[in-house]
Amino acid sequence: MTPVDASASPPIKRRVVFVVGSGRSGTSTMAGTLRTLGMHVPQPEVQADETNPKGFGEPQWVVDFHDELLQRCRVQVSDARPAAWFEAGRLANLEPLRGRLHDWLAGQFEAGGPELVIKDPRLSWFLGLWRSAALRCDATPTYVTMLRPVTEVVGSKQRYYAAKFGEVQRTAAWVNMMLHTERATRGSARAFVRYGDMLHDWTVPVFGLGQAFDLAAVQTAQANDIRAVHSFIDPNLRRVQLTWDDLEVPARLREIAEEAWQHLDRLADPDGDVPAVHDVLDQLRAAYGTLYDEAEAISASTALASHREGRLEGEKAGAASAVVVRRGAQRLPHGVRALVPARVRGWLRRVLRRPGRA
Amino acid sequence: MAVRGADIACEEGLAEYDVRWPWNHVAEWGRLRPGLTCVFRVKDEARNLPWVLPPMLAAADHVVLVDNLSTDGTAEVGARVAAECGAAERYTGLVYPHRVSRAGQEHLATEPHSVHSLTHFYNWSFSHVRTTYSMKWDGDMVLTPEGVGVLHDLAWQLENSGAVVAIPRHPLSIVSDSEAWLDLGFRFLEPWIYPMGADFTFVKAFEWEVREFPATSQRIVAPEGLVVELKWIEEDEFAHWTSVADFENSRVPRKRREWQVYRALMEGRGETVEGLVRIQAPPGVHIVDHVVHTWLPQAPRPLVRRVRMDP
Repeated sequence: MTPVDASASPPIKRRVVFVVGSGRSGTSTMAGTLRTLGMHVPQPEVQADETNPKGFGEPQWVVDFHDELLQRCRVQVSDARPAAWFEAGRLANLEPLRGRLHDWLAGQFEAGGPELVIKDPRLSWFLGLWRSAALRCDATPTYVTMLRPVTEVVGSKQRYYAAKFGEVQRTAAWVNMMLHTERATRGSARAFVRYGDMLHDWTVPVFGLGQAFDLAAVQTAQANDIRAVHSFIDPNLRRVQLTWDDLEVPARLREIAEEAWQHLDRLADPDGDVPAVHDVLDQLRAAYGTLYDEAEAISASTALASHREGRLEGEKAGAASAVVVRRGAQRLPHGVRALVPARVRGWLRRVLRRPGRA
Repeated sequence: MAVRGADIACEEGLAEYDVRWPWNHVAEWGRLRPGLTCVFRVKDEARNLPWVLPPMLAAADHVVLVDNLSTDGTAEVGARVAAECGAAERYTGLVYPHRVSRAGQEHLATEPHSVHSLTHFYNWSFSHVRTTYSMKWDGDMVLTPEGVGVLHDLAWQLENSGAVVAIPRHPLSIVSDSEAWLDLGFRFLEPWIYPMGADFTFVKAFEWEVREFPATSQRIVAPEGLVVELKWIEEDEFAHWTSVADFENSRVPRKRREWQVYRALMEGRGETVEGLVRIQAPPGVHIVDHVVHTWLPQAPRPLVRRVRMDP
């Protein structure tokens, strides 16, 4: 290996804005705004649909990459388990993943210029990997967390997403996501933006981001860019406006969620991102962890029953597939079966009868 | 046999240097709070601390620096750097005024609960941690920006996991302000981060101390390129060993590798050692800053290509 030539460093300062926070909080609005002003969203993007008619601002590659990782660590996008952060975080230590993400991000800087926007509701689980990729690309990582009242987020998800999860689980997952995303970005270049402020007058928070993160696309935006953002942002996007009266959530969880919202909301104030607020958020994280542990202990019988049920179903599935294989073998012409020596046929039958081997 | 996690009275009867573990004094000190504390035990590291402390203060929730008989103003430099980083409230400076036995034969001959034992020194130092996780760190180990990110994440992700974290480090032998040799021919990997608790205290080993942990603990291995270990070539790197013979005959391959590299560089034949990489900084940039901020982040992975060590 020869010494690195320092003059090979990229001459233009690179920046990447990670748009984080819970889904249905205006993350698409923020990513779309920055894209409209000239920052690059890696292509192709996820197609718009009726749940997000203006588009998601999510690179398809990023969504696929995150889905793969979530599957690998057995974490869901909306996962209420505090321990899920440890499971997802472990992946950040795998060099092949770090290298893969770095290679992809380096390609995006080459193709799309020095200022990128990356947004995906799964992003918060893997911020360590992204930070590493950004640093290896000699890019400054910055974070925008979108804020929207928890009741509206839960209501919006109930309306637009599959009814797989109920209000309680969605509220718990919001607490888990938001409190840990705040912790993960603490100490980094970051900003908090209220969804309501974006819809009311987007120029104020976005100008602030341009200044705080030194974003050339925002600082040099022309009149046409500004007009384009005005036509992109629909103030009527905030279609779901609920309060706690509209949701049935246990008192302690509701208390923690409301307190968390109140203190996260303060982070969006000028000079609001201060240690005193962080301390309260740390206490809330601890309180949520305790509440979750208790809930887990109370529902341990349900978890065990599900585990048993899953095992039984697995065994049944294994037995059924063995039957299918036996039947399949029987479908072979007798002449072909006869070509297999009897000793081997017996061994094959024994092996194929074992559950799960087929 | 001593009760695991019990307080430890030192052999010399000096109450101030008895080990009092926080889990035995909850009523007095409260429960350990979530977070990661980095513990430095240092002697004459004033030269390195301006590189070492700022990134660690950015990564960990708290830093405890224990000065052991330094003559170069290490304690003062540590406090000053922490203040300059705006982290004075997250920094605890302590003094351990006892001569500690050198690694090797001298350590082996020292009672483990003596104030002169490395084992007691470590336990006493870590008894000042007030967070649920702790890590030992050396006064010559510098985190890269990626390293800061990884530790910053672990500081909250490890909570309640019980996991132990090993971090590879890369020795950097510094010839001058603009030239150094990075050892990428050997994987220097040790566990550095542990939960605080009765199952995670230090016990005596042959050459030095070891930290215990249950066999059931999950083990995480951090990626390469997070840490360099500064070795100033004109300094005696082996002064803390009883004798050089201990080094040459060490059962630990990494120690033999360190000795091999040191000898080669002192004899001006660094290029003959497989995996040893010469790095030159551009004009006006110190070699440590160049390696930490530019060279390592951009170097192709994997960094370490292990070479065979002589038996």
